[in-house]
Amino acid sequence: MKKSTIILTSMLLVLLLAGFGYSADVKKGIHVGNAGAFTGDAAAPCMEIYNSAQIAVDEWNARGGIQGVKVKQIMGDDAMDPAQGVNVAHKFVADKLMYGVIGPPMSHIAQATMKIYGAADLACITTAASKPELTEQGYRHFFRVNARNDAHGWNCALFMKKFLHAKRVAIVNEKTAYNVNMAKETIAGLKKLGITDILQETIVGGAKDYSAVLTKVKAFKPDVLFFVATTAPDQAIGVRQARELGIKAVFFGTEGARDKKDFIAAAEGAAEGAYVYHFAPDIYAIAEAAGYVKKYESTYGVLSGFGPPAYEAMNILLTAIDRAAADGDITRKEVVDQLHAIHNYKGILGFPVSFDKKGDLEGGATYFFKVVGNDFKQVAVMTGK
Amino acid sequence: MNIYLEQLPQQLINGLTLGGVYALIAIGYTMVYGILGMLNFAHGEIYMIGGFTGWWVLHLLTRNNQVIMNSALVISLMIVLAMAVSGLVGILTERFAYRPLRNAPRINLLLSALGVSIFLQNLVLTYQGAKVRVFHIASLIPQDLRVFHVGSTVFSFMRVMVISVTFLLMALLTVVIKKTKVGKAMRATAQDIEAATFMGIDVDRIVVVVFLIGSALGGAAGTMVGLLFTQVDYYVGFQAGLKGFTAAVLGGIGSIYGAMLGGILLGLAESLAVTFLPSAYKDVVAFTILIIILIIRPQGLMGEKIPEKV
Repeated sequence: MKKSTIILTSMLLVLLLAGFGYSADVKKGIHVGNAGAFTGDAAAPCMEIYNSAQIAVDEWNARGGIQGVKVKQIMGDDAMDPAQGVNVAHKFVADKLMYGVIGPPMSHIAQATMKIYGAADLACITTAASKPELTEQGYRHFFRVNARNDAHGWNCALFMKKFLHAKRVAIVNEKTAYNVNMAKETIAGLKKLGITDILQETIVGGAKDYSAVLTKVKAFKPDVLFFVATTAPDQAIGVRQARELGIKAVFFGTEGARDKKDFIAAAEGAAEGAYVYHFAPDIYAIAEAAGYVKKYESTYGVLSGFGPPAYEAMNILLTAIDRAAADGDITRKEVVDQLHAIHNYKGILGFPVSFDKKGDLEGGATYFFKVVGNDFKQVAVMTGK
Repeated sequence: MNIYLEQLPQQLINGLTLGGVYALIAIGYTMVYGILGMLNFAHGEIYMIGGFTGWWVLHLLTRNNQVIMNSALVISLMIVLAMAVSGLVGILTERFAYRPLRNAPRINLLLSALGVSIFLQNLVLTYQGAKVRVFHIASLIPQDLRVFHVGSTVFSFMRVMVISVTFLLMALLTVVIKKTKVGKAMRATAQDIEAATFMGIDVDRIVVVVFLIGSALGGAAGTMVGLLFTQVDYYVGFQAGLKGFTAAVLGGIGSIYGAMLGGILLGLAESLAVTFLPSAYKDVVAFTILIIILIIRPQGLMGEKIPEKV
């Protein structure tokens, strides 16, 4: 064979591989990634996500895996830092046996890594990132099993108006992508509903002292204090310092606050009567989830609410991988296509999961809870109306 | 305008508490800088270790959410043990990370300090985990003593305690430095380390004392912040260290009274900035003040212009 022919053939081969993606025999192995902040302030919810996804993986493996191949979940720790999130993404993309990723659960990390996963056609299912723009950029690989911020923001505004009968609202939000957006969408919703007496203030998460901002809130005399912060420990400080300063307003916390240990117990009584919203319903009330709940709680302790969507997401991802691998051969793009084909998946969340064209969850709902004693009691569901 | 006046007393209390804590941290920075001319970037971690020590003392003295001893005794033990542990860690870092480099270029010391900071942070992360530790203080103070009102201003017991202990510690330090032999030796060493050696001062011992005192105050601050804001995790040292360092520079690095003043000013500036401006500008205001002061007085508020040594 002539030298030039060899060069030409190898170039063509490279082009083929690059152009059509990497196609592999399933038997070589199947990896799924889990990207999240497994160290730092959000370690607890992220570990809950990881462990719940692992339960789903273990169940699939116990049933014989996919095409007889055992699935392996790989952890990628971003420590809430976008730069480290990018490292995780590169690592996952470089792993030729990886066909999908659960996460990243935080909007700012999801945004930072969007292009990397997208260029590699590596499917991502986030279980918590709710910034609307994430699915507005034309990427096909990104899905979410949680509702978007704009859905939550509007639903929270509805809840404050209809359920809490608010007239003056103070919104204190952390300065991160997720929280800034949540505050923005909620304020837009409140104004639409005719509530215009709004005070917005910001905090830096993890600072542990919010008394200066809360003193200002107290002088505003709101009916409702909407505290938009990521982690349960920060929410606990928020409610504690608000009560210490004598703020009488209803305390309304965001998703992260739905944590019995780090919010209710950590606030030592100050959280009594507070409200929180969450994207997932009371999992204990759903019969289909009983098996998962039992498995989780017998091994890892109390669930906070971040786990169930992760269990669901992993099951959906593995279903898509299973279908993509049905012919014994699998590509990442096939997995993405199979995820787009998921329709009315009946899992443990209490509603059938379908994705719309953008990868968003269809008909997402927002659930509201009240702190009663040492537990959360579901008091309302808002579905945009 | 009324809405601002209404908040003012409360914000002063908020600022004074925060400022006292900043001051305690700043003293550690400034004392080390005064003598060795180095920025001890591991100081924030010493503060964090003080917080963890306090948490463990409280945790070990609590059964079924009830402290098993007199509250005053528990709080004293927390502060004293946090000071002891932090002081010890400070001495150890000096002995193993800084003393071997005493005569090396300053930049080596700085790198060593950064290394110690990362080492201590990860040590705590490894052995204590990443989860936030909550100080369960409800049983320390009876419900009816926890807060008291003067007009619309709320004083919490913890704030009053923190402010008092902070000022007590600062007063003690002043006495030590002004009235005792060790204090005199410290001042001499800070002025000229070589001349101090010629005068028969055991400089190594003085450096150890400086690290002990500075670190102990940092540890006290760590535990008191734990009692006040009820949480500690392995990462709190970073932000606290940054604020303490800023306070030290603001007051004039090397000057102990400057550190006290700088800390309190920084705390007050942050609280008052929130009162009059959107809270997003809190740090902007604090650091703008720092920059302005450094432009007008490059040596800081109470720092002395050090003449070039020939």
